Amino acid sequence: MDAITTTLDAVCLASEMILESGGETYRAEETVERMCQGLHVPRVDVLALPTGLMLTLTTEDGSNVSRLVRVRDRSTNLERIDQCNSISRKVAAGEMSAREALERLREIRRPQKEHRLLLIGASALSAGSFTVMLGGTWADFIVSFFCGMVVQLVMPPLSRMRVPTLLSSLLAGALTTLMALVGTLAVQAVHVEPVISGAIMPLLPGLATTNAMRDTMRGDLVSGGARIIEAILGVMMLAAGIGLMLSMWGGIGA
Amino acid sequence: MSWWVQLIACFVAAASFSVLLHQPRSSILVSSLIAVAGYSVFLLLNQNTTAYFLASLLIGILCESCARLLKRTATLFITGGIIPLVPGVGLYNTMRHVVEGSYHEAVTVGVNTILGLCAIALAITTSSVIFSVLRPKQRKKGTA
Repeated sequence: MDAITTTLDAVCLASEMILESGGETYRAEETVERMCQGLHVPRVDVLALPTGLMLTLTTEDGSNVSRLVRVRDRSTNLERIDQCNSISRKVAAGEMSAREALERLREIRRPQKEHRLLLIGASALSAGSFTVMLGGTWADFIVSFFCGMVVQLVMPPLSRMRVPTLLSSLLAGALTTLMALVGTLAVQAVHVEPVISGAIMPLLPGLATTNAMRDTMRGDLVSGGARIIEAILGVMMLAAGIGLMLSMWGGIGA
Repeated sequence: MSWWVQLIACFVAAASFSVLLHQPRSSILVSSLIAVAGYSVFLLLNQNTTAYFLASLLIGILCESCARLLKRTATLFITGGIIPLVPGVGLYNTMRHVVEGSYHEAVTVGVNTILGLCAIALAITTSSVIFSVLRPKQRKKGTA
């Protein structure tokens, strides 16, 4: 009984972490199946959704153990997906026991020191470079650089305050547009189009869209559909934020 | 801006975007180079819907091959590789036309943007399907 509980703990944690880090649901399901195969569980049934996970393991004596895990906080962390993936592969190959896997997974899950400055710098640099990539000038680069910086300064506190993600995309869109428009007031040479387009690129739900397509194509219609709606709503809120700020600015200007 | 400045900017943008998504350091160089390859194809092909499809298909195939070669998951490379193609300009211009009240242009640009997004999604799916069809051969060798 104890062995099966450890197996259940390890399998659930791996799969839960993949869902929390923005992984595809088919990957979460495959991880469970692969790990159970390596740990000699005769039968496993698993259903992963973007917002939760349920699974039942059948032991050799025919009894069932089930668990339901609710996934509430979702963000993108590709490194975690990669780490969970390599641990599950080791378990599947029989190189790692359930207890070892559980310990390793708990280690990974422990909140790591966030390099906030690095993230702010990355956001600023990517916004600025996207602007240049889309044909912006160096003046546009500087304005867009600050847009990216401010967005990354504002977003993490908002998510800690439990502001819904969709609302914070709206705010991010509005904030970016406002900063770009203020930038044009300050420096005449700044072009609004490349600045706003470049600065919103990192905010678009790219991972959600690709994962939505991959899930749908695998036949996971519920997860795929849910993710498509998530992506569409994200884009719409961002667009609404831009539109809101543009029309407010126009109202003041006129 | 000359084309090579744009491509360098593309590389820097894709790399820093990957940092933002906590991509493992070892995969950032590869995914950013894939991003540059995809974006240059997109620029060469007149930036229409077909260009979106072909450039994304190239990115998808490169990502899946790198995933096989380096034994990592393809998602790692795709997320950073596809980002320069995401039609941010289209989204902004659609909203600008809506705000200005020129709905005719808004619909034209909006439909083009959505078509671009669909083309990207279709291309990524196509490449992933191609490779998952090829996968069973690998499993027999015991590498999967």
